[in-house]
Amino acid sequence: MGILHRLPWAVATAVAVPLLNLASPPFLKLAGVPPSWAVLWLLPWALADGPLSGALAGLGLGLLLDGLNLGGATQIPALAVLGWWWGRLARQGPPIQRSLSLGLLALLGAFLLGLSLLVQRHGFPLPGFIPQLSILHTLLAQTLLTGLLAPMICSLLLLLWRQQQR
Amino acid sequence: MPFGRLPRVPSLRLLIQSWPWWLLLVALVGLRLSKGAFLSDVYALISRPFWPGSAQCEWLQASKQLELQARQAHLEQDNRRLRALLGLKRADPGEVTAAVLSRETAGWWHQLLLGAGQIQGIRAGDPVVGPGGLVGRVASVTPTTARVSLLTDPASRVGVWVGRTQRHGLLTGVGTSRPTLVFLEKDPQVRPGDLVVTSPASTLLPPGLNVGVIQSVDEKGVPAPTAVVQLGAPVGSIDWVQVLVQAPPAP
Repeated sequence: MGILHRLPWAVATAVAVPLLNLASPPFLKLAGVPPSWAVLWLLPWALADGPLSGALAGLGLGLLLDGLNLGGATQIPALAVLGWWWGRLARQGPPIQRSLSLGLLALLGAFLLGLSLLVQRHGFPLPGFIPQLSILHTLLAQTLLTGLLAPMICSLLLLLWRQQQR
Repeated sequence: MPFGRLPRVPSLRLLIQSWPWWLLLVALVGLRLSKGAFLSDVYALISRPFWPGSAQCEWLQASKQLELQARQAHLEQDNRRLRALLGLKRADPGEVTAAVLSRETAGWWHQLLLGAGQIQGIRAGDPVVGPGGLVGRVASVTPTTARVSLLTDPASRVGVWVGRTQRHGLLTGVGTSRPTLVFLEKDPQVRPGDLVVTSPASTLLPPGLNVGVIQSVDEKGVPAPTAVVQLGAPVGSIDWVQVLVQAPPAP
């Protein structure tokens, strides 16, 4: 476990995620669908601070975001698992932290998060399940946009967290 | 003229010479048959400068307006009483204007965050309207904010009414800007362009709120025909909305 969780201001940056969700800047949307800000914040945090901190950060973020959204669907399990998984991947060292890798990890993370929401809101996609076009549109748009923004945002955040750890 | 002698038949020449009198006779007969219509019109035209002043006319109009207002108040009172007996929503709720602080009109959730809440009298379940019609319903509320579940949200279900054909249906959000209207009858007899309003039998929403217009109809829908509805209110660009709060019933 790293030292990021001991820095109150670093933990406080997580508040940006619900704020960005609420502000939902129109110029950062793809066909009306925003990126997954939670994934974009959680990925560098988990890579810098380890699996346990990543899982706990995912849990905290999930609690924050669930409070902002209607309905019973929750993002907690997906975010906690992603935080833990990315924290473990960080042990492989710098190769996983290259921009392209960050983009791919965010792409995969946004897809899994979207899939978990799809299952909760529309049922498990068994063989023969024909999803509505709008669900696929949301899933693909959010995944692509998150993957595209990750190399820029996650790289900067990771750089910032690494500087704090030195 | 000695007694017992018949009067002389006038000559044809004399009859022709008196044509103006014949014309007058025809005119008088016409006047009689028309019940003096022409005469009345001429008289009205001539006597117009001497007609009575407008004051009495205005009194009559004012009294008529008062009578209509009284009748409307009486009918509204009756309507309120009957709707209360049936457990339906009131048709004349109060209005709270609120700014849209945040909106998600695409993605996993379709919701608005409003800058007014419990302090302003908003409660969960209150309908929200924008320019053009119904937007959604308040799903949760805090002292200063309210979260609105939009009609486009996949979890949204609202009873609606097609006025032209008097058919009920269930407006179901499907995650796009155009929700689906599922009819309850096999033959709803609707067509594109029909206006959709909230159901008069709804226990959740006031009756007659504009919802949108039918864009296309799928008559072969299973288990019942369906229609795509273009919502009246452009949710993506609305900055202010009105929440129809259920004011306490009038005494």
